[in-house]
Amino acid sequence: MTGASHGAGHLLRLAAVLGVLLAAAFPLYWMFVTSLTTSASLFAVPPRALPDPSQLGVYAEAFQTIPVARWLRNSLIVAAGTTVLSLALAVFPAYAMSRFRFRGRGAMGLGLFATQMLPEAMLVVPLYAIFADVGLLNSLGGLILANTAFTVPVITWILKGAIDGVPLDIEEAARMDGATRVGIVLSVVLPLVAPSLAATSVIAFFHGWNEYVLAQTLISQEGLRTASVGLASFVGELSTPVHSVMAIGVLYTLPAIAFYLMVQRYVVAGMTAGSVKG
Amino acid sequence: MASIKLAGVTRAFGPKRAVDNISLDVKDGEFLVLLGPSGCGKSTLLRMLAGLETLTDGEIHLNGSRVDLLPPSARDMAFVFQSYALYPHMTVRRNITFPLIMRHHRWWFHIPLIGHLAKRRIERQPDVAELVDRTARILALTPMMHQLPKTLSGGQRQRVALGRAMVRKPEVFLMDEPLSNLDAKLRTAMRAEIIKLHQQVGGTFVYVTHDQIEAMTMGTRIALMRDGVVQQLGTPRDIYADPVNTYVARFIGTPPMNLLTAELDGRGGVVAGGAVLGLPGPLASLQSADKAVVLGVRPAALAIRPAGEPGTLAGEVTLVEHIGAESLITMKLASTRTLHSEDGSAADEVIATSPGYSELSAGLQVGVAVDTTDAVLFHPGTGERLW
Amino acid sequence: MAAASGRTLPDEGRWTPYLFIGPVAAYLLLFQFLPLVQELLLSFTSTSLLNPKGGTWVGMENYRDLVAGEDFRQSLVVTAAYTVACVVLAIGLGLAAALLLDTPFRGRGVARALVTIPWAAPPVAVALVFAWIFNAQYGVFNFVLRSFGFASGTENWLDSAHLALPAVLIATIWQIFPFAAVVILAALQGVSSELKEAATIDGAGRLSVFGAVTWPTIQPSVALLTLFLTIWSIRRFDLIWLMTQGGPIGATNTLVIELYRQGFVYRDLGRAAAVGMIGVVVALLITLVYFYVTLRAERAGDSR
Repeated sequence: MTGASHGAGHLLRLAAVLGVLLAAAFPLYWMFVTSLTTSASLFAVPPRALPDPSQLGVYAEAFQTIPVARWLRNSLIVAAGTTVLSLALAVFPAYAMSRFRFRGRGAMGLGLFATQMLPEAMLVVPLYAIFADVGLLNSLGGLILANTAFTVPVITWILKGAIDGVPLDIEEAARMDGATRVGIVLSVVLPLVAPSLAATSVIAFFHGWNEYVLAQTLISQEGLRTASVGLASFVGELSTPVHSVMAIGVLYTLPAIAFYLMVQRYVVAGMTAGSVKG
Repeated sequence: MASIKLAGVTRAFGPKRAVDNISLDVKDGEFLVLLGPSGCGKSTLLRMLAGLETLTDGEIHLNGSRVDLLPPSARDMAFVFQSYALYPHMTVRRNITFPLIMRHHRWWFHIPLIGHLAKRRIERQPDVAELVDRTARILALTPMMHQLPKTLSGGQRQRVALGRAMVRKPEVFLMDEPLSNLDAKLRTAMRAEIIKLHQQVGGTFVYVTHDQIEAMTMGTRIALMRDGVVQQLGTPRDIYADPVNTYVARFIGTPPMNLLTAELDGRGGVVAGGAVLGLPGPLASLQSADKAVVLGVRPAALAIRPAGEPGTLAGEVTLVEHIGAESLITMKLASTRTLHSEDGSAADEVIATSPGYSELSAGLQVGVAVDTTDAVLFHPGTGERLW
Repeated sequence: MAAASGRTLPDEGRWTPYLFIGPVAAYLLLFQFLPLVQELLLSFTSTSLLNPKGGTWVGMENYRDLVAGEDFRQSLVVTAAYTVACVVLAIGLGLAAALLLDTPFRGRGVARALVTIPWAAPPVAVALVFAWIFNAQYGVFNFVLRSFGFASGTENWLDSAHLALPAVLIATIWQIFPFAAVVILAALQGVSSELKEAATIDGAGRLSVFGAVTWPTIQPSVALLTLFLTIWSIRRFDLIWLMTQGGPIGATNTLVIELYRQGFVYRDLGRAAAVGMIGVVVALLITLVYFYVTLRAERAGDSR
């Protein structure tokens, strides 16, 4: 093989990488460009390929005319609540599934696995009925409870996989040193599975932030709408200009992406350690 | 003051008995070594002492009171793991202090920030800090108190594990093959340190190993185990000189004791491979002529003579190994059977040690002279010692 | 050395595991199992969304009507087509991207992070921006097609019975292939470079090295990935619903969309529940087939 053909192969590969990155980035870039395009050039041919900085006012306008801030705040509450509740619920069962052999363990494992297959859209009707009976409709807390039901199984599963990797010796050492079982879980095991805790936090957070069907169904009060429902309300609606809708889309997407980029190292490690090696 | 009494201790995993009805006493201040091959139940026995494993049957007493139903932390025993089992997310200081923090532990220590502060306060209490610092000085850990375990060498990690055991000032130290993850040189050094530790700190030590050199050098007594049963319990000297059966005889000593099939001649001697060998006083009184026995002799009791010399066993040198101070000479005997079947190969081969650099070479026909002064006799069927 | 220890420590009651799993078990019973049972019961009734408590027992009628109806059969076909396309394309693209990102080059870490961004984008936003991209007159997709001289550059993608499913698929694949890439990339780290070198020295070409060394190592991960992508594709709602509402004329009407339409457009909760139960059975069957196949593969591997 000559140096030249090797160089050409390398270039080809770089071009392919660039192509993949471009494809991955383009739709989000396009959302951003559209949000910063004047009403006049929205329908221009060819479309404007670069953002127009003079249009930043669209964002200020969106905040004034549309309750974007409130939507984002609600989404943040739901996402954070889902994260905290999911982790609080998942840690001890994950430990039990990893360390104990008990009657019903198989059934529990099957249950955790099977519940990952139930679509939210399917349970939305009975959940609505139950929530109506106990007065949890139109409450962000209720929405958190519903979301958590869909995150807890996968999170328990991932954490179990991570705890499987903690050497038993270390727990026994803590046992000898006088730690209780709860103490072992909280002060020895949890610090050792920190990457997976980070990963599962992100998974729960994203679920809460992105979730649409439950929020759409369980919340009808305007002031409690989440950003996903708010943004979805523009679909098929023609009176709001496209650039304003895209601006809201950017405001809704940007925090998620920024958060993801901050923690992606952990997410990738945790996801692959737990869910897939399984 | 810490004496341990095991009475009928048994641990079954399904139909298999990992530890089978073991009763023994460990005296105060003793260094007892549980010795045996992999799977002999020695670690299981130690873990039952610690409370990390439940007993299927039997009782454990510490200073006369029963402890086998108590949780590990209530038994006043410290455990050193083969893997060291240090807490990877804690500094050396926190690792060593951890058992002391646990003594003062309250449920609210689990609350993130408050618990953190509370633990740090305990760590900084004068008595606690002083004890930890003193322990660290003894173990030469002072310069690395703020490091994490992953930055330490194997020997340093080992010393942190010892430190964590020492600060508790336990009545009993339990150690599960603590040196087996170290390289050979470090292992010898740490061996000496643990012996010194036992002399300085006192307390009763129970130490598990599969390494007979560790057992011989460290233990005040050795319990040699096989298949969940103690074969022999005694001082290193007893076990070496007076093995109770062929298993113990072959397990202790490198190279192992040679076991030759022989017959009593009824006149105070044995016949092996055509040669008549005299027996020392107590053995000579064993009467009954033509009775088959197994003659056990250490490699140093075999001497190499020219082939055909009277009173020697005919053999051929098959391997010569030079290890510096002495040479190991493996020979295949012509007309004498051995009982070395457990080794698989090496059937009818014996090993002799000869001082210095041996000039013998493989293929040479020799005569093997047997010094029976320290010889022992075993029953050929049961392998039990004859006396 | 000791045999593997009995895990439960001697001083603990045998109830500790149950105390640990109790809260979650109760939670899932309440928020997953109870609704599922209600859904099952609902599927045997005729119940209107307007009067959810006033259902009447109709036995298997909902199921009979569904099986007899054209819409439901179409939605089964659409679901199958959508799912298969999602899985095959996501794994194909994911594998390509992973192999590309597995070879060392400058800035690889950044590239790996950037490639996974679509996975982090909220589906509602994705639906919105893809609807805009696929817009018939002003959409950038048609503009690009026109620029390359395709006559179809004026197609109304989301309103065309032939093109709506491909359009939805493009949006879906864009969102999920990064996940496949990440998983496969992680699995590739387990491929022994020594083995690859040995195969190369033995004279294997690149493709043979992939077949003999790389693929066997990543195969279990890909299998599990297939299962997850399949289940997720059957479950997917928001992206499809917000792009097409299952239309036009049922072209993108997957089971979950059909369920939602029956319940919230036609307001027939009983029939919606019946669709859902059929979906659950399908998902369960797929999982069983997956476990059957992987178990058999493992056994075959053992006996080799």
